[in-house]
Amino acid sequence: MKYTNPQFRDAVSAEYVLGTLQGAARRRFERSLKDDPRLRQLVAQWQNRLAPLDELVEPVQPPARVWRKIEDRIVRAGPRRWLSDMRFWRAASFISAACALLLAVYIVQQPPRAPETMVVVMSGDQGTPAMTVSWPVKPSGKPKLRIRVMGHPDMPPGTSWELWMLPGSDQKPVSLGLIGTAPMQELAIPANLAPMINRATGLAMSQEPAGGSPTGLPTGPVLYKGLCTPI
Amino acid sequence: MADNDAIAQLMARCVLRDQRAFRELYRHTCAKLYAVALRIVRREDWAEEVLQESFVNIWNHIAEYSAARSAPLTWMTAIVRNRALDWLRRPNLEHGDEDYDLLVEAVADDAPGPELILGASRDARALAECLKQLTGNQRQTIILAYSHGLSHGELAQHLKQPLGTVKTWIRRGLDRLKGCMDTSAAG
Repeated sequence: MKYTNPQFRDAVSAEYVLGTLQGAARRRFERSLKDDPRLRQLVAQWQNRLAPLDELVEPVQPPARVWRKIEDRIVRAGPRRWLSDMRFWRAASFISAACALLLAVYIVQQPPRAPETMVVVMSGDQGTPAMTVSWPVKPSGKPKLRIRVMGHPDMPPGTSWELWMLPGSDQKPVSLGLIGTAPMQELAIPANLAPMINRATGLAMSQEPAGGSPTGLPTGPVLYKGLCTPI
Repeated sequence: MADNDAIAQLMARCVLRDQRAFRELYRHTCAKLYAVALRIVRREDWAEEVLQESFVNIWNHIAEYSAARSAPLTWMTAIVRNRALDWLRRPNLEHGDEDYDLLVEAVADDAPGPELILGASRDARALAECLKQLTGNQRQTIILAYSHGLSHGELAQHLKQPLGTVKTWIRRGLDRLKGCMDTSAAG
């Protein structure tokens, strides 16, 4: 069923949030939500309207075993799902191989010193590589990131793309700056981040309000991410 | 009440698969979310299952959260509510009907005004004001459905009213609530 009539769309969204939309109708509505951002918006509006009803719930501490089970299922079993995604590794190994070949040619041509290069193949939820970032690993100076954006992604009006460095498992992401959708770009990063970026575990790119994240940490959906691979 | 800014920070770190941040996020929010689940499924072992499923879901889908659309706790609560409602609607689930009768009494239409039971945030006051504009039946059915997960059929059975009547109360109540809240938000 298509949800076209505006009043009907709003009424169904309301009953979905209330919980009285049930059975097959609820499943059908959830399927429509997946590819109808405006319907998701209506649902979010109803969630916001009714959310204060949850304020009167008295918190109840759940037993400790609940966290242990959650931990078993996500933290120990698969700390990074995209790390175990074959498509990610296939893409990474393909691009690494290509880069290694280029590097080999470079070394042959310039035998004395071959600067090591860091490559990050970044992909979205589908696992398809969407962007690569690479830079020469140097002990000092301002690294310049070379960014390749594949396909022709859309950036919605009023939003920006912000690139983040992931320093390590327990540290907060650090903003590297805003980037665009152009297929080839360069981004110079501050000298003080140079030693850090060479040790970073990965990069991520999030969609933020125009001008970048207001909080200094990613606030929007992460569109692409990838691991740093030295070659 | 967990602090939304602190939760937003933790969620940002979880997006980047920071497991320590996720444990913190759980610690901050689990008591509130467990209570939400418990209020709907009304059995501790079921609420534990719902909470576990919800947090696995939250971890897997955290990158889809959009700060522009809703507060972090609202987003997490919606996931818990959905899981709890799915749990209640499983086939062959044994219901404790007497619980519902108690609930219906507790949320009677002549119960104290909603302004007395709602929290003190600005949004809560706006919702309380608008709930007051509804008829007692409209208000009671909406609160029983949202807070305790009662279906149209269960509401009809326990309020001893025809199904169509209950559906109309809810539909008109929601419609009026929206009109009232949109006006108060604009004003």
